[in-house]
Amino acid sequence: MHVRTRTWFGFVVAASVLFLVGSRFAVFEPLESAVNAIAAPVESALGAATRPVADFVNNLTDINRLSDENRALQEENESLVAEISRLRDVDKELQQLQELVNVRGNRPGERFLAANVFAREPSNQQDLVAIDRGSADGLQEKMMVLTRQGSLVGSISRVLEHTAWVTLITDQTSAVGALIQESRVQGVVVGAADGTLTMEFVEETADVKEGDLVTTSGVGGRHPPGELIGQVVEAERAAQQLFQQVRVQPLADLSRLESVLVLTSFLPLEAGAP
Amino acid sequence: MSYAIGLLAILIAVVAQLSIMPAFSIFGVQPNLIIVLLVAWMATRGRREALVLIPIAGFAQGLLDSQPLGLAMLALAPMTLMTNVRELRLVESDLLPAVILTVLATLVYETVIMVTLVVTGEHPDWLASALDVLVPAAIANALLLLPVYGLIRLASMDLRPRRAF
Repeated sequence: MHVRTRTWFGFVVAASVLFLVGSRFAVFEPLESAVNAIAAPVESALGAATRPVADFVNNLTDINRLSDENRALQEENESLVAEISRLRDVDKELQQLQELVNVRGNRPGERFLAANVFAREPSNQQDLVAIDRGSADGLQEKMMVLTRQGSLVGSISRVLEHTAWVTLITDQTSAVGALIQESRVQGVVVGAADGTLTMEFVEETADVKEGDLVTTSGVGGRHPPGELIGQVVEAERAAQQLFQQVRVQPLADLSRLESVLVLTSFLPLEAGAP
Repeated sequence: MSYAIGLLAILIAVVAQLSIMPAFSIFGVQPNLIIVLLVAWMATRGRREALVLIPIAGFAQGLLDSQPLGLAMLALAPMTLMTNVRELRLVESDLLPAVILTVLATLVYETVIMVTLVVTGEHPDWLASALDVLVPAAIANALLLLPVYGLIRLASMDLRPRRAF
């Protein structure tokens, strides 16, 4: 191998290690904050401008799945229309739906901060998104992030001055104390490398059904209880296993997040502790 | 001049990687435009320019991504060792080694990120990561290389130094 190439490789590795050590002591944070503050609007505009093209391309590649989904949705739509026609008190139903959807209206004691998603971590090993709010807006690490409809997105893992990174619940390092709303069975919802969610430590005998809602349990103090995480799509009971594997589908499409709400009025126990 | 164009291309690729590429997923993963561009540049423009652009790309990505500054540079550093492949001229084509290097560079890059997760106390599922991320990402990047390589090859014809009559 070329000697100069090896020397250059050694130089690049040494520089990387120096940068990593500097990052450990937040030496480069002002530089990173400044660069991110400049790049965020550009990234946001680029993302918004190319979204229709991306949707079109993804729809083309997903044509079979979309066709099946469309058929299923049409059938579902028919049954829903029939069901709605039977409802006598439409106004009351709408009001109930409004209460379910309108998180902010339902939770007057809690403070939220709206933020736009403008970037995503390039590595496929990690599932993080960047938002256009930072420490200047009062954000802190470990604050919880929700969709505008109120389901759990993840928590803030890194804060710069005007931007922050959110680790999504689908990230393989994420673990959220959870319970199944109907049966009150507890477990831990963990992410995976392929972006799916699994609820672990659910007792083999526990009553878990497809469609059950999964919410945060509040155990551990890292999340407030009762935040919606997703819906059970499959519960696998293997013979001679203590626990069943419960696959959970996030309520929101976390791969296409555009805006989120940061819950600023709740800090996890360890983060909020003096 | 070609260094300046390379630098500009890298900066655009870094911004596009964070903002545009996540919307285009192939086999459930997002292709890495930075790796692909660096390999294509290496294959068409040669070793010298690639050696300069690799750490710059790592530094630029490090400034914008969620990782500590230096990690992206470290994950891309092994690509400097791959720059000699083109000079060896093992096959006539530039494209075939580029495809192989893209696959190799992707595997090394994602593995470095995984090792970092382990070092920081996480316990990633190696088998699941290999099957769900590493292999699909390598294939996705190899596919993305084809248009990027074609574009750089076309553009690089204009970058060649003109001979005086």
